[in-house]
Amino acid sequence: MNKNEINRILKLSRRAGKILLENGAETYRVEETINLICNSKGIEDANCFVVPTGIFINIEYDGEYYSIIHRTSIERIDLERIAMVNNFSRGFASGSITVTEADKDLERIENAPEFKNWQIILGGGVAGGFFTLLFGGGPIEFSLAFLTSMFVIMFSLISIKYKLPFFMKNFTGGIINMFAALIFIKSLECFGVYADIDSIIIGSLMPLVPGVAIVNSIRDIISGDFVSGTSRMMEAVLIAVALALGVGTVLQGYIMIFGGSI
Amino acid sequence: MILDFIFSFLCTFGFGILFNIPRKQLVFASIGGALGWIVYSISLVQFDSVVMAAFTGALAVGFYSEIMAKERRVPATVYVIPGMIPLVPGYGLYYAIKKIIEADYIMAMEVGTETVLVALAISSAVILTTSIGRKIKRKAEKIMN
Repeated sequence: MNKNEINRILKLSRRAGKILLENGAETYRVEETINLICNSKGIEDANCFVVPTGIFINIEYDGEYYSIIHRTSIERIDLERIAMVNNFSRGFASGSITVTEADKDLERIENAPEFKNWQIILGGGVAGGFFTLLFGGGPIEFSLAFLTSMFVIMFSLISIKYKLPFFMKNFTGGIINMFAALIFIKSLECFGVYADIDSIIIGSLMPLVPGVAIVNSIRDIISGDFVSGTSRMMEAVLIAVALALGVGTVLQGYIMIFGGSI
Repeated sequence: MILDFIFSFLCTFGFGILFNIPRKQLVFASIGGALGWIVYSISLVQFDSVVMAAFTGALAVGFYSEIMAKERRVPATVYVIPGMIPLVPGYGLYYAIKKIIEADYIMAMEVGTETVLVALAISSAVILTTSIGRKIKRKAEKIMN
């Protein structure tokens, strides 16, 4: 292999790793994929170090060193792309694909179709609504939680579009969540219909709660990736704090203005 | 119980769309979530402990995911992540905030600790099943070769 070919393999493995990391894969999966891609083309000495904010790859071939550093961040959770890259890397390792074809495959994965926005918003509504039912809500609570979570998801789509910092995103998400739920409940009370606020908030908060970040961080820590694990843990804690601040602000404000308790 | 199954099925289905699961796997992943919830609610009655119940529920989700991942040739994460979502203690987070605002710090501490423990229980169950799955996979590959 000449220098050019090695650089292309390096770039290919970087691209695959980037897709995995940005769509919320675990650290070990990213590292394994990069190693698999390098090793399958006969590069024995490939080292990579992956943290949630960057990928570092270094390979040695024929006494020469090649390395690449890529700065990135976790943007969302997209399990379809993770599954696709996983299949791709297995196919690549079996040796039937050339590097040019592999590059095209990865481009196809990057542009893979997603759910449409209205489907995502509806999905969020279904998720929040039925969660409320699991936690003891009735039909009224279900419909309110359905509406509230649709609002929250709508906002979260907008904030992804405008690249809001994650702390602001979750803080505002918490505020919108609590505010919408309060308005719905209080306006229903004017018609003499009373709803339980707790189950509504719990349901509609669920799409924002960092469950995946917590589980992935502990997974990373136990498999020995301490740096990734602690940084993911930090992310999860900060998201929880931001949500709590958002919800708490509105709750406190309501009690201060109207008195009584929720 | 049947109602619970349907509710948790649809709840996981919604989260599956949020996490952009491959469309062919959506229904099967939702069955996993419902299974986890049923095991969770049964063991909540049996053990009378939320942490233990979350652990067994997540174990059920994990084993189901490993088996389905093998059957349908996708990484187990595709099933694990939406499946464990109904067990994630979002309610604990909310109650803890509420108690802090009501200046009931002892209760807030109690709920908060439970929330952290539930999160730990879920992730350790997931890790347990993942590592068992990987061990079996390696054994199988060795035999195949």
